[in-house]
Amino acid sequence: MSTENTPRRPSLAAKAALVEQLETQAGDVGRLYERPTSQWRLAARRFRERRSGMIGLGIVATLLLVALFAPVIAPYEPTEILIGKEDVTRRSPPCVHVLGCSEDQPQHILGVDGNVRDVFSRIVYGSRVSLRLGFFTVTLALVVGTTLGAIAGYRGGWLDNGIMRIMDVVLGFPALLLAIAIVAVLGPGLTNALIAIAIVTLPQYARVVRSQVLALKESDYVAASKALGSSGARVLFRRIIPNALTPLVVLATLGIATAILEAAGLSFLGLGAQPPTPEWGAMLAEERNQVFTSPHLVFFPGLAIMITVLGFNLMGDGLRDALDPTLNA
Amino acid sequence: MRRLRWLAFLAALAMVAAACGGSAQPTTTTGATGGTEGPTTTTTTRAPSPDFEGAVLDAGGCDYGGKVQKITAVDEFTVVFDLCSPDPAFLAKIAFGVFGIQPAEHLEATGGAPITNPIGTGPYKLVEWVQGDSVVYERFDDYYGEKPAHKTAVLRWATEGAQRLLELQTGNVDGITFPSTDDYPVIEGDPNLALVNKPEPNILYVGMTNTFKPFDDVRVRKAIALAIDRQRIVDTFYPPGSEVASHFTPCSVKFGCEGDPWYDFDPAEAKRLLAEAGFPDGFATKIGYRDVFRGYLPEPGAVAQDIAAQLEENLGLDITIEVVESGEFIQTTTQGNYEGLYLLGWTGDYPHITNFLDFHFNADNPQFGKNDPSYYEPLAEASKQVDPDPALYAEANNAIKEFVPMVPVVHSVTAFAYRADVNGAYAPPWGQVQFHLMDNGKDTFVFMQGNEPISLYCADESDGESLRACAQVVEALYDYDPAGEVVPQLATECVANADLTQWTCSLRQGVKFHDGSDLDANDVVASFTAGLDASSPLHVGNSGAFDYYSYLWDSLIGDEG
Repeated sequence: MSTENTPRRPSLAAKAALVEQLETQAGDVGRLYERPTSQWRLAARRFRERRSGMIGLGIVATLLLVALFAPVIAPYEPTEILIGKEDVTRRSPPCVHVLGCSEDQPQHILGVDGNVRDVFSRIVYGSRVSLRLGFFTVTLALVVGTTLGAIAGYRGGWLDNGIMRIMDVVLGFPALLLAIAIVAVLGPGLTNALIAIAIVTLPQYARVVRSQVLALKESDYVAASKALGSSGARVLFRRIIPNALTPLVVLATLGIATAILEAAGLSFLGLGAQPPTPEWGAMLAEERNQVFTSPHLVFFPGLAIMITVLGFNLMGDGLRDALDPTLNA
Repeated sequence: MRRLRWLAFLAALAMVAAACGGSAQPTTTTGATGGTEGPTTTTTTRAPSPDFEGAVLDAGGCDYGGKVQKITAVDEFTVVFDLCSPDPAFLAKIAFGVFGIQPAEHLEATGGAPITNPIGTGPYKLVEWVQGDSVVYERFDDYYGEKPAHKTAVLRWATEGAQRLLELQTGNVDGITFPSTDDYPVIEGDPNLALVNKPEPNILYVGMTNTFKPFDDVRVRKAIALAIDRQRIVDTFYPPGSEVASHFTPCSVKFGCEGDPWYDFDPAEAKRLLAEAGFPDGFATKIGYRDVFRGYLPEPGAVAQDIAAQLEENLGLDITIEVVESGEFIQTTTQGNYEGLYLLGWTGDYPHITNFLDFHFNADNPQFGKNDPSYYEPLAEASKQVDPDPALYAEANNAIKEFVPMVPVVHSVTAFAYRADVNGAYAPPWGQVQFHLMDNGKDTFVFMQGNEPISLYCADESDGESLRACAQVVEALYDYDPAGEVVPQLATECVANADLTQWTCSLRQGVKFHDGSDLDANDVVASFTAGLDASSPLHVGNSGAFDYYSYLWDSLIGDEG
């Protein structure tokens, strides 16, 4: 076989320069990936202009700080039973000295629960449980869902059909119901709740990524990358997925809120965190019968859940506004 | 030989009975006699029919291991129970609602499973069971006893104590079971409500199975017994009036508190014993419970967490708290398959010490692992005595204390709550509350309990919610009155022979079932046959387990399983 007519392979540097050039000319989608720094800087500027997003960010940042410095903030260990240690009665209401509570009484700013534990300390430590659960759940769902969605969208054909039909089946069930079923099989516990929630939410990520991949794989710069001999995996993970991240960031942020809420729901049903873990949903469940006699025991954990979910939702909305340029057209 | 015989027999015996004035009682009639203070009644007396064909449930001997040898319908109104061994608790047992009497024809017509349509002789007849919502009853105008003041009674349910209380406060219901103990002050402070104590004998205990390590070592079990501050649990989680358990059986049950009281709290000695057993730094285990309200355990999660915290602090144990589904929990623990500590309790079914001690600590009960003859032998001996020797129960209780198969924690006070305008409001220590004994001055009486009945055929149920629903419709030979005394109901009396192995029950005459048929002795035999004889085609029920028949009469007849 003659080799005289074989085109000369371009150098890697030349390939990169060509792809870079094509990407910058590739229309709207390509413009999203003009230069990473400028895009994120632009998004940050847009985000700062969204007041609700900034409030959400403030709430989330505060929660992160509370979780990080829980041992400093909380006056007691979350599982410390105060019987015999303090003169405090079970399920006593909040006692704040500056608000008039007698100095003779030990201060418990959110009251004492049914096991004579400080509610404020449990809620502070509970932020660690909820945030960890939210982040790990979303990370797991994001990694698995993105991988499946990307492979389905890029390869197409029977693989696409197979993966997405499975995702459709999962989406066909109410999320909490499916999570309950999964936990029923795996057994109750925080880790299993995390896995269950990740399983029921990953189809959302798979769907979004697949649709992004389907759009981006027809782009000129992707075609150029293929023409220049890049492998499928390289095209997918170096050229396409980085350009599909924007909606995922928004989805993941909102997903943390959903995960925390669903985990609280599972714990409320006794399928998530097990006692004496200071998880907000479990705290609600433990004291649900005291809603009339000791409302503070269900009010404060409920408030913690509400504020956390609100924070992530506001931040997610702000991110979506900031990262989706079509809203700014 | 194990068989049921429906005999066309005893014509001659019936004639003899008729000649004796309808009371064919054995000649040996001095051992014990059931009381005769039944409800105020209107009865008609008639001579037994000479054509009556009495039914017989015959176990074919006593080799099958059960207590009942034979039940015979001697004539229309006389039933004789022949037992394999003396049973001083016979009357207390047959008063249990599980042994309610239904027409033989109805049992046959429903194939032994009148799960949704029981027919009884009670003050109410069933109108409708709206599944998921309520059971509706209607006054039975032909009732032989005191008729209900209200025309309709409704039984509803709500799992949460807070919801039940809310329904009571708003006047939607007239009475509720087991309000949350934290709500007691609310109820007592409300002039429209009344809290009624329910002095039911019960016990909460920390169970462990001695076939699992390290609970096979009595020093470990004893260490756990000494390391739990039971007074703290009672003071913190139980309503006033509840008592630290000095014995497994409450003192209100005769012979319950014979022998030495339980160990005092002694964490130092507990630590020493655990170190001696080879666990100076403790060990890892779990404590399980079911998240179900019971009178003896009003807040399962809170008590479990406190006991776990105490054992962690006093013995260095590393304890995981495990909430187990109720059915699985009961199955696992009572079969001795739960590997760890667990919280379980017992509420007396009938007022006799055998219901507490003999049931839990007999030689064959696998719940606590391998039982010790030091306590099950004196118990077996005492159960055969007409007038038990208290020393035997003292010996058994002391041996239980030494062997520590479990740790008794508390005898709890429980309560029902009613609207203040309900006359005759009560909460019986034994048996089920009877709606017809109360009057709210309206046409409809509404009562709310914690859960929906499982079925309305209570021969095959064991939960209080089902038994309460059945008790309004179906009656047994005896009953427990509001004070807890055993009194005649469908029987006017049951008389025992000298050694308590034969009980002859005379039925109340003129009693009608809700379908209009008359009560006779064959209905009694048929009802017991359906529950007790596993080989009978009538032995169907809901689950087919017939737990109380099996447990109170030691074994089912013809049970191959």
